Amino acid sequence: MKALVLLSDGRHPVSGRPAPAGTELQAIALARGLTEEVAGLYAGPDAAAARTALGHGLARLEHRRLPEGDDPLPSLAAAIAAAAPDLVLAGRRAGAGAQTGLVPYQLAEALGWPLVPDVVALTVADGVLEAVQALPKGARRRWRVKLPALVTVHPAAPVAASFAIGMARSGHVEDAPGIDAPQDGTALEERPYRPRPRLIASAAAGASAAERLKAATQSAGPGGRVMVDPTPEEAARAILEHLRALGVLKPAPGRD
Amino acid sequence: MSRTRRDPREEREARRLAGSGRPRWRLDAPPTSGRLRRDPRREIDALRVAGTTRLRLDRTGRAGPLALPTIDTAAVAAPTIRIVDDPAYLVTVVPDAPGGRLAPLDRQLLGAARTLADAGGGAVLVLSFGQIDGLGAAGADRIVALDAESGDPSARAAALAIALAALQPRHMLLPESAGGGDLARRLAAKTGEALFAGAESLTARLATRPAANRRIEQRGAPPRLVTLAPDAHLPHAGAPHEARAIAAPEGRADAPHTGILSIEDLPVAADALPLAEADFVISAGNGITDFELFRALARALGATPGASRMVCDAGLMPRAAQVGASGTVLEASCYFALGISGAPQHLQGVARCEHVVAVNTDLHAAMVERAGLAIIADAQQVMPALIALLTAEGEE
Amino acid sequence: MNAASALSLVIVALAILLAVEAVRVARRWHVGRPASVDWWAGLAAIPKRYLVDVHHVVARDPYAARMHALAAGGLLAGSALAVLGLVPPLAGSRWLWALAAIAFLVALAGGGMVGRRRYPTRPARLSGGAFQRLPLLLVGYFGGALLVALDAVLDLTGPLGWLGLVVASLGGFGLVRLLADGPMRHAFAGALHLAAHPRPGRFEGERATALIPADLDAPRLGVAVPADFAWNRLLGFDACIQCGRCEVACPAFAAGQPLNPKRLIQDLAGSFKDAPPAYRGSDYPQARPVAGVSGPERPIVGAGALIHPDTIWSCTTCRACVEECPMMIEHVDAIVDLRRFQTMELAAVPAGAIAPLSESRYAEEPGGRALAARTDFAAGLPLPLIAEKGSCDVLLWLGSGAYELRHGRTLRALVELLRRAGIDYAVLGPEERDCGDLARRLGDEATFADLARANIATLGRYRFNRILTADPHALHVLRNEYPAFGGHYEVVHHSALLDELAADGRLALAAAPDGRLTYHDPCYLGRYNGETDAPRRLLDRLGLERVEMERHGKRSMCCGGGGGAPVSDIAGERRIPDIRMAQARATGAKTVAVACPQCAAMLEGVTGDVAEVRDLAELVLAAVEAAVPQGAPR
Ligand SMILES: Cc1cc2nc3c(=O)[nH]c(=O)nc-3n(C[C@H](O)[C@H](O)[C@H](O)COP(=O)(O)OP(=O)(O)OC[C@H]3O[C@@H](n4cnc5c(N)ncnc54)[C@H](O)[C@@H]3O)c2cc1C
Ligand code: SF4
Ligand code: SF4
Repeated sequence: MKALVLLSDGRHPVSGRPAPAGTELQAIALARGLTEEVAGLYAGPDAAAARTALGHGLARLEHRRLPEGDDPLPSLAAAIAAAAPDLVLAGRRAGAGAQTGLVPYQLAEALGWPLVPDVVALTVADGVLEAVQALPKGARRRWRVKLPALVTVHPAAPVAASFAIGMARSGHVEDAPGIDAPQDGTALEERPYRPRPRLIASAAAGASAAERLKAATQSAGPGGRVMVDPTPEEAARAILEHLRALGVLKPAPGRD
Repeated sequence: MSRTRRDPREEREARRLAGSGRPRWRLDAPPTSGRLRRDPRREIDALRVAGTTRLRLDRTGRAGPLALPTIDTAAVAAPTIRIVDDPAYLVTVVPDAPGGRLAPLDRQLLGAARTLADAGGGAVLVLSFGQIDGLGAAGADRIVALDAESGDPSARAAALAIALAALQPRHMLLPESAGGGDLARRLAAKTGEALFAGAESLTARLATRPAANRRIEQRGAPPRLVTLAPDAHLPHAGAPHEARAIAAPEGRADAPHTGILSIEDLPVAADALPLAEADFVISAGNGITDFELFRALARALGATPGASRMVCDAGLMPRAAQVGASGTVLEASCYFALGISGAPQHLQGVARCEHVVAVNTDLHAAMVERAGLAIIADAQQVMPALIALLTAEGEE
Repeated sequence: MNAASALSLVIVALAILLAVEAVRVARRWHVGRPASVDWWAGLAAIPKRYLVDVHHVVARDPYAARMHALAAGGLLAGSALAVLGLVPPLAGSRWLWALAAIAFLVALAGGGMVGRRRYPTRPARLSGGAFQRLPLLLVGYFGGALLVALDAVLDLTGPLGWLGLVVASLGGFGLVRLLADGPMRHAFAGALHLAAHPRPGRFEGERATALIPADLDAPRLGVAVPADFAWNRLLGFDACIQCGRCEVACPAFAAGQPLNPKRLIQDLAGSFKDAPPAYRGSDYPQARPVAGVSGPERPIVGAGALIHPDTIWSCTTCRACVEECPMMIEHVDAIVDLRRFQTMELAAVPAGAIAPLSESRYAEEPGGRALAARTDFAAGLPLPLIAEKGSCDVLLWLGSGAYELRHGRTLRALVELLRRAGIDYAVLGPEERDCGDLARRLGDEATFADLARANIATLGRYRFNRILTADPHALHVLRNEYPAFGGHYEVVHHSALLDELAADGRLALAAAPDGRLTYHDPCYLGRYNGETDAPRRLLDRLGLERVEMERHGKRSMCCGGGGGAPVSDIAGERRIPDIRMAQARATGAKTVAVACPQCAAMLEGVTGDVAEVRDLAELVLAAVEAAVPQGAPR
């Protein structure tokens, strides 16, 4: 069985230095749990970040050289067609750039393969991939899909291996020209990022009890309500009321 | 010049909340005097930049519509339903609506859709997979029910593609959530539509989104397909809309992807959840002695149990339950700490929890300071009282 | 032919046998990598290294020192004198045999002490097996030889001399048999180890505690199999006498983590042999099961190998074992070499170490925090950037503790003191990367080297007289480990600088309120750098009642915070800081003074009946503030 891990030209979110994206490294770990034959695939100008992924357990990296700003999709699709892997894994979002998370979907569409999003566990038997998808709040969904298939990896997947320079050195990079695909520049204007205030519904009619409390507690600032030496029953009532207002506890039966 | 005379009794009556036996009034509703009163606290809050404990305000005014005091006509007067009969264009919305109920992000999404629609006489059309409650109040003018039989997102994306082609909406909005985000990307890939993913502000003219690890903000006129980030837009607060059901557009969906053999939800119990993903964590520290009771309380509350390192060291809870720097860093929205002092290494594990409830005998414990609700009492006695109360409610 | 000359012949025969065995032992070291050894200087220095350096360690246990002097001295002198009996002019000389008798009598006393220590009950730190038989063989050889010598002196006729000869021969033969794989190996290997020691600087008055840079161009990084060790490292392992001093000193062992430095060295000594002798000392606490296979080309670390990974990751690199070892064995070097292979070739690091190592590499800071946020602690205090000033007298190196609330308090106190003393100081601010201590101790030499080079390049752009730091780990790295990468700096710990300022009168101190206090020596300041006096002098200037814990100074016990142990977090039965805090409490101290961010964090993590943890800078600032009259201008 052959697996290919898509790599981006990632940057560390804080330092901005070349660094592979976390979920891409987790993808490598997941793939290595399935098969020995795991290679990385990167299309773009400079493979600095992708190369470091070699140190996290990749034996081989296929680099499709592209001019800055070109669309990687045709190169990736061609490389996948040529390598004919059984499984392609991608991170949830790229480690840099627009970070729309769209590339794996476009590839799956182009290849006509099924895509399983946000996987945390993979097993393969008889050409069928069993993938567990992570949903919010710890929920899980199991997919069974025929190979070849494409998956994206969720941060809740098992932790990635740490960096080993020995592996990075012995890893093999295959450099080949990609398929030029100039893009007509993004129509979007770019500015330095400034965080925006989170808008919390205050007393809007549409807001749920949880939202109203969220709004209330957010404005309450640090330090909250303190009850000193209540009776256990008083304490219990106050706690349940509070938890219900937060929405983490279901309303009491028979009440709204 | 005459001034209308105020009748305080009548004003109060107008604020009476319906439905409860005890009289209760809305205290945050604006005065009916017609003069708009400013609430400086609320205005400040609206400018508050999230994610910092220090107070930081965004005064750039780029924050889009803020949480201004909204006149809650629905609660005050008899609801008048707004009807948009002949819309200039459509803004379609595809909410997640797990279990047929609108999630907070869904409501925000509808709020954004209303903004886009009201900017030019458009109508908000909800594409729903299955029955969804409360769409009118949330701002929907039309509802189109799509075939919900398959839980397969690729089949849903195919259905959306047909609707997109048939309805030609000006915008189609999806939540940037696990489900909505996936659906939007499938749709974008399928149709070749440009996707504006994870908008953090959205008006008819301008949408913004973070890129390059939040170092860059991309901005531009919103394309047809947009996903909205959480807490980026206020829910619709005005009068309810009509939410008229209309027929689904005709169109033949492609056969579902033959590669997908099955999709099934796996049952996960609250106490078997991975701690890192749990939404509600109850945690025991050195102040707890009865761990049977603690686990029973966790079950009764439906919370995932955690513990401080002291407790895990003592072998009273498994190592996997440890919260903190050398244990698990939580993403939970609520953390309920029983008998935990709140050492720095422990608090690192709950830094991202929005709400903390603490029970501790020590008023000066760091955890008490961190908590939104702190009970200064013996946790060993509060635990059985909680269980008793929950059981009594269950029997009611 | 009498019994005496027969004994002489027997001893010569034993010596030949000994030489044969010694060659066999030495050939086993041949599997190791070559090492550059200055043989002539080394061999010539053996007596001095033995009598001064080894004795300095051994003498901490006076009984053992006496025991060893008697037994070893008597053995060598008696045997040599007996062999001289073969030289014709001396043959049959009563004087010679009288001297020999005295020597053997002395040796017998030593042998008796060896036995006395082990019988009737053997202390836990000592090994059993062949070690338990050793006193019997010693007493046999010495006693038998004594009889022979007495026979020769007194001219007794009768079976006594011959009986002595038989006993001495049996005992002597037994001892020779213990050379290759028994207790007697330490004598041969130990002597050679002194000559060919991998850190000769230790005998030249240097602390010689800097880790030796790994050759990053080597085909294999770190040590995977015994043959990857330099041959003199293998020799060092063979020198171990299983005295158990390291075991007693080891904090990880005390905490019930699966590490016992003595057993580790024995495992390493056995690792390059196909059939190592059984180990009869105390085991790794909570020993994890391993396959237990050995051989020069067999992997050392792994559940399927000889040593469980948890063993090498339990080490705090506190060097207490090295400090205590009479055979001058370098445990920490061995552990780091083993870690280097695990980390740099296999990426097999403990789960908790993955993130700090990744962040050290990709964010140049083990917590992944923004470098610019390092100065956030200052909160309004003047903290000039050297980039703006260009030069300064004292460059303040903040270290990773600056991100922590606790150490932030210490640093604020320190900055305030610098300000009051009128020091011209500055910080690197966003240009300060992590010094690389954590990465290096966790075996990631590549990341360490990158960080070291980047920091050295930055420091090279500015002019300053010395670097000040409140973090002994950073101090050690900057002062002792950067030189190998081309960075030479004068680095001073805040305890030393504050002491200097107080001595100069630049900081006026008022006597602090009374209250008993004890000082906890950070390993990286005390043991690694030998700085144990300045902090004590400084504390004494505060007029406090200072008491010492039993383990202090260079023999202090670790807080558990070094070597990446807190992130590796290998489970034990207790916590190291709990043990240390109990020792502090046992002195009756209300306050434990610390001088390191790690120590502060570890000791503050202890719950229950604890002493208050204060950094020296905080204590000094309190005394300085007390010295300023109310309302006086600052
Ligand atoms: C390197 C390092 C890493 C660490 N990592 C972690 C970590 O990941 N997670 C972690 O938790 N800790 C960690 N610690 C340990 C941490 O410093 C604290 O020691 C630990 O969190 C304390 O646990 P605790 O709050 O349960 O115990 P305590 O500090 O003993 O607190 C018990 C609390 O319970 C209260 N109490 C007592 N009786 C009652 C009662 N009957 N009812 C109500 N309240 C009561 C007390 O007032 C007190 O506040 C770490 C420490 C170090 C040095
Ligand atoms: S390593 Fe050194 S201290 Fe430890 S037992 Fe061996 S000789 Fe003694
Ligand atoms: S350095 Fe310290 S922790 Fe490591 S083996 Fe030696 S004594 Fe034990």
